[in-house]
Amino acid sequence: MRIPNDHKATIQPQRSSGEEVARLTAENSALKVELSEARKSNQQYLQNVAHQLTAPLGAIKWSIEALKDPEVSLSRKSKLLSSIYSQATILVHLIKNFALMSNLEADLELGQFRERPEPVDILRLCINLANDFQPQAAENEKKIVVDEDSFAGTLQGKKVQMVKNLVAQALSNLLENAVKYSDSRSTIVISAEQATVDKIGDTLVISVRSTGLPIKTDENEQLFKRGFRGSTAKQKVPAGTGIGLYLAKRVMVLHQGAIGLKTTGRDSRFKLMFPLSRLV
Amino acid sequence: MKTILFVDDEPWFHESLRYALEPKGYECLFATDMTTALDLLDTHEVAVVVTDIMMPAGTKFPNIDSQETGFHLIRKLQSERPQIAIVCLSVIGDESKIRPLRTLRLDYLRKGEVPLATVIQTIERAAGDGGERVWRFS
Repeated sequence: MRIPNDHKATIQPQRSSGEEVARLTAENSALKVELSEARKSNQQYLQNVAHQLTAPLGAIKWSIEALKDPEVSLSRKSKLLSSIYSQATILVHLIKNFALMSNLEADLELGQFRERPEPVDILRLCINLANDFQPQAAENEKKIVVDEDSFAGTLQGKKVQMVKNLVAQALSNLLENAVKYSDSRSTIVISAEQATVDKIGDTLVISVRSTGLPIKTDENEQLFKRGFRGSTAKQKVPAGTGIGLYLAKRVMVLHQGAIGLKTTGRDSRFKLMFPLSRLV
Repeated sequence: MKTILFVDDEPWFHESLRYALEPKGYECLFATDMTTALDLLDTHEVAVVVTDIMMPAGTKFPNIDSQETGFHLIRKLQSERPQIAIVCLSVIGDESKIRPLRTLRLDYLRKGEVPLATVIQTIERAAGDGGERVWRFS
């Protein structure tokens, strides 16, 4: 067949058909492996999610059955009611995370918030969240302390322009992890400070500090990926969705801020960083 | 009084079981990992171990994958303490992981899904009370 002159320049040097088949076969195999790994990871993720949703519901179901048992004393029935309340709180938190995840993806694609940012008293928000998690922390004699002086010194009476529900969920996720993975009888501290951060400049940093499970330094970056759970965390608490830190990071990106982690041995400090321009 | 040992890192599940079993005269012990469970077995005469699958192995077994700790505990109990009856309570969704349990001498019940009364009855039978033991797998 005659090829017109203007097409000749784009024609690649011919490979032998054997070479081409080998190349395509190798490419095909690599894609198959990639697809199979993605499927496996997705399946694992869905199983984790299912487990996280089923476990509290199952516990609630059995507690209700025990409530109906005439042989169970009134004081124990009262404990069962508290337990049902705790499990329901866990479920609400989880489901909010999933709802948030789908909204956040859409917001990030649009590059704008679904809800309008408003000036928020972030110290009040931290105190309220600390109070919410206090009962869970108290089960293992842990304490959550808000370092109010650090907030007063850093904020100088200013508020933070943000979407309250999103930041509350991000902070809740940090607190939930701290409560889950810190040592019994330890103290979790929430504090504020100003710091200069690469690519963002001057920032307001809200930190959640705890002592307990060491985090492997080579996993620091991966911790913020969807579905990833640190190896030490998995050993201590086998079940988990691995979306809490991922969501917290997305929330901070949407606020033109960032999330960070500093670990020293068994001490971990997760940081939410807002650009100082958000102080109003 | 017969003793039941619950091994699970989600101990709130067992409040309801404990409250239903104690009035029937059983003593209930709790461990949140395999190491603690085996320590308790060294110091207590236990009739039935009720175990989860996914849970921490604890300090003595750092190389056990926490996703499979229960399988290790079951194998260890069946080889070293065959007199102890085992009831496995778990919510593992992957059927292929559960299948090997069918060949072992134990009951397998889905945690939180099977009615509480069924679990109580299964534990009572495993303890040698409440009639002839029939292996349950549901």
